[in-house]
Amino acid sequence: MATCKDCKSFFAREDDRSQGDCVMRVVDPRQAYYQATPVETEKDASKCSSFQKK
Amino acid sequence: MKCTECAFEAPIGKFRYLYNARIDSSISMRQCPQCEQWLAVDELLGEAQDAVHPGEAPWGKSAGIEGLAGDSQG
Amino acid sequence: MGQRTAQTEKALSVDELANRREWWSVAQKTRSKRLDYLRKGVWKKGAIGGNYAPGIKIDLTLPQLFTEKWQEQEGEPIMLQKAHAIAHVLDNIPIFITDRSQIMGYIGSAPHQIVWHWQGISMVNEEIYNEEGIIPEPEEESLEILATLNDYWGGRTAVDKLARILDPEDAVKFMSGAIGWGTPTSAATYSTKDFTYIFKGFEALLAEIEERMEETEQKLQGNPSPQLLPLYDKLPRWEAMQIVLEASIRYAKRYARLARTLAEHFESDPTRKEELLRIAETCERVPAKPPRNLQESLQFDHFVQVLARYETFEGAWPHRPDYVHGPYYDKDVNQEKRLTKEEALDLVGEHLIRTYEVGIFAPKWAREGLQGITGTWVWTMGGVKPDGSDACNDMTIAYMQAARLVRVSNPTFGFRWHPKVKDEVLRECFECIRHGLGYPSMRNDPVLVANTVHWYGHPVEEARTWVHQACMSPCPTTKYGCQPMRMASATANCAKMIEYALHDGYDPVVNMQMGPKTGDPRQFKDFEEFFGAWVKQMEWLRNILVRTVNLGRVKDPEFFGRPFLSAIYERAVETGTDACDPSNGERGNAWVTGFTWVENADSLAAIKKFVYDEKKYTMDQLMEALNANWVGYEEMRLDFVKNAPKWGNDDDYVDDLMVRCLREVSRHAKENKCPSNNNWPLLPENVSGNIHYANLVGALPNGRRLGDALYDGGISPGPGLDKKGPTAVLKSCGKFDHVTDGRAFLLNQRLSPTQLSGEKGYQLWKAYMKTWADLGLDHVQFNMVDDATLRAAQKDPEKYQEVIVRVAGYSAHFVDISRKTQDNIIQRTVQGLG
Repeated sequence: MATCKDCKSFFAREDDRSQGDCVMRVVDPRQAYYQATPVETEKDASKCSSFQKK
Repeated sequence: MKCTECAFEAPIGKFRYLYNARIDSSISMRQCPQCEQWLAVDELLGEAQDAVHPGEAPWGKSAGIEGLAGDSQG
Repeated sequence: MGQRTAQTEKALSVDELANRREWWSVAQKTRSKRLDYLRKGVWKKGAIGGNYAPGIKIDLTLPQLFTEKWQEQEGEPIMLQKAHAIAHVLDNIPIFITDRSQIMGYIGSAPHQIVWHWQGISMVNEEIYNEEGIIPEPEEESLEILATLNDYWGGRTAVDKLARILDPEDAVKFMSGAIGWGTPTSAATYSTKDFTYIFKGFEALLAEIEERMEETEQKLQGNPSPQLLPLYDKLPRWEAMQIVLEASIRYAKRYARLARTLAEHFESDPTRKEELLRIAETCERVPAKPPRNLQESLQFDHFVQVLARYETFEGAWPHRPDYVHGPYYDKDVNQEKRLTKEEALDLVGEHLIRTYEVGIFAPKWAREGLQGITGTWVWTMGGVKPDGSDACNDMTIAYMQAARLVRVSNPTFGFRWHPKVKDEVLRECFECIRHGLGYPSMRNDPVLVANTVHWYGHPVEEARTWVHQACMSPCPTTKYGCQPMRMASATANCAKMIEYALHDGYDPVVNMQMGPKTGDPRQFKDFEEFFGAWVKQMEWLRNILVRTVNLGRVKDPEFFGRPFLSAIYERAVETGTDACDPSNGERGNAWVTGFTWVENADSLAAIKKFVYDEKKYTMDQLMEALNANWVGYEEMRLDFVKNAPKWGNDDDYVDDLMVRCLREVSRHAKENKCPSNNNWPLLPENVSGNIHYANLVGALPNGRRLGDALYDGGISPGPGLDKKGPTAVLKSCGKFDHVTDGRAFLLNQRLSPTQLSGEKGYQLWKAYMKTWADLGLDHVQFNMVDDATLRAAQKDPEKYQEVIVRVAGYSAHFVDISRKTQDNIIQRTVQGLG
């Protein structure tokens, strides 16, 4: 099963390796930004449409 | 009163009163119930004078500007 | 702006563009690439003509996160329960860093999203469900989420709880929408913030709380006594403060982590990489510890403002950023030369943009009353220090310059003028006005300091720290002066005073008996009897609003809870209370906002002259015309408009009546008491309430009909009715005492941009300001955009997107406000100076 830690967008937290940030590049009609959403390292990513294997 | 746009005729009260931007003028804005056009209405005469479109001011210039240099911007 | 192609526009020099007063183009040409990108990239959150701009969506992540934790903590004291829920949000809400930005923090998950406060008012929750265009895709799924949230919060919101204990008659009258607006809860409010305390850093505040808790726990181990019992309630409140402060530090560190990740894994440009590492260092540092430089102080400030808005809808932004950040600017730019002026200007400009970016959902009625903006975010500039010396600094100038570069309509500035203000600073104020921003509004500092001492007994050193609590009302930023919850529902639709005096307390628009039965005016023997009826209606209207708000205020800690605000309020930390608890030493700074005020004086003058003095018309004839909404009585209406004395023409007949009305209200303002046992003075102003109430106030003897816009200012003459020039307006407004006759008085004036061009224009304006100050007026603000531009913008709004106007107490993009409001602004008299 693919988990978040296997994804290119995942960055583990140094103070707690069981948690991390899913960092995505977003370009909306007005501006571009990077968005970080907290995720668990072992979260099932098999249904994630943004998953990109490391 | 008769709508200048669609010729609908009815007593003035049937034309929805919108507002009078300049309290010291007898011109007010009303809306025709048939074609929904905004109309400049002379309340003294009880007559629709013309249709009002964006950017038009049936009341004329703002008070005060007559005594000043011409105001315009490109 | 407007007609030419981009190519010809590019060819024009900055000077040529300035000569043409094409200020948006001037700004585009003179600002940095960073500010240009950030300004053009920002999503407009104010409603346009009452609707949100395409692409703006409501944020559902935030209420979901909050509610799931809230439900888990059910049964805890409200402040603790809320602290856990807020912490959960701060730990889990998506965060973002916009390209080129240097200041972090946003309320919501993405830049195009707006939030709302589901814990405030059920009716607003329902309105969101039915609001078209703002529901995120997939809409069906989002509506299901909203429905679940609404089902849970229905009956549990702060206002739902308050409604159960309100007098039912008061509630019905208030809910009619005719007499006032707002909600008596801190779910929709604003708070003063004391940055001398906050800038100690959250770790220091946590240590202080810890100390208080230890002290209290020790006391509880002592001899049992009734005095110890209230201490048990304090402990969970302190714990709640700890939870939110710790979560706030973690929230900032999430930005530090993201910035570092971007620098290490994503960014290839070395300059941006360096910026990202500086952002990381900044967010590691603040708000945990005190700021050391300008970027840290601005960042700390913005985090505090954002965090406060995670807790509640803060609809205003009481702040004095030049005073707060001035020392850091001086250190970085002048002393250590760590930043160039241009680099500092980038930070200051972004501070304005980040503030403009904040969006909070407002219900329809609020969007109508505050057209084009999210809230009245009036930042205070200039003024004096607590010792009375000039407080203006380089940051005052930097904010004025940055405002002209980024041209946002929110925040705006209110400038505290005093006799020692240097010419270079005054020129900066004038340049902003000349550039058509509509701000800063000019405030008379000595008058307002004296006023703040007079009405509430704030010590003068504290009064001198004042900020605009909303558009107009000064509030000290001190331990006992800070106001945690301004009660917006103490906003009176004052035109109802005269309307109810005419109709025996009956409201002919909403068809209800509202005020007391003061008699049929046809039976009154003289004007004094009529005026007596007006006084009774005025007292009734103020009483119903004030008593509702007083109740809402004391119940707020029980019904809503403010753990974050309490944690940054020194007196709340010291006493273990909710910041909104009036028993914790707050001195009191309440006021009643008086919308639609001037109609009273003009209507009373018309009645006195035509009905009682000259007997030109009988009261019966007048009532007949009013009941017909003047339809069929146009000649008579014009007589009342043109030949009855009108406020603003230096005519004692009507001016004396205005003064008399104000003195009656001021007497009553001292009889009304707030929960801190202080006074409730009147503050006449309108925002765009003069448009909101146009369809709720019937025909009046000043010649208006139901549907017409009411006068625009707090003491501004009716548009086009001030015939005697600007000095006559000032003289009328100078006939009452701006210290003792009310809290503050909003005056809109419209000036000619042609007349005020160049050095001559500045000197004319300066001379006008001297007369204004000499006459003791407390406020004036200016529109300086000509008729032709405004009419062209009505015709072709796409081409005039960036034209800004002063509405009343706030500025807005002209194209975002309704046609009726636009016409009302255009019809304001253009005053020729000199």
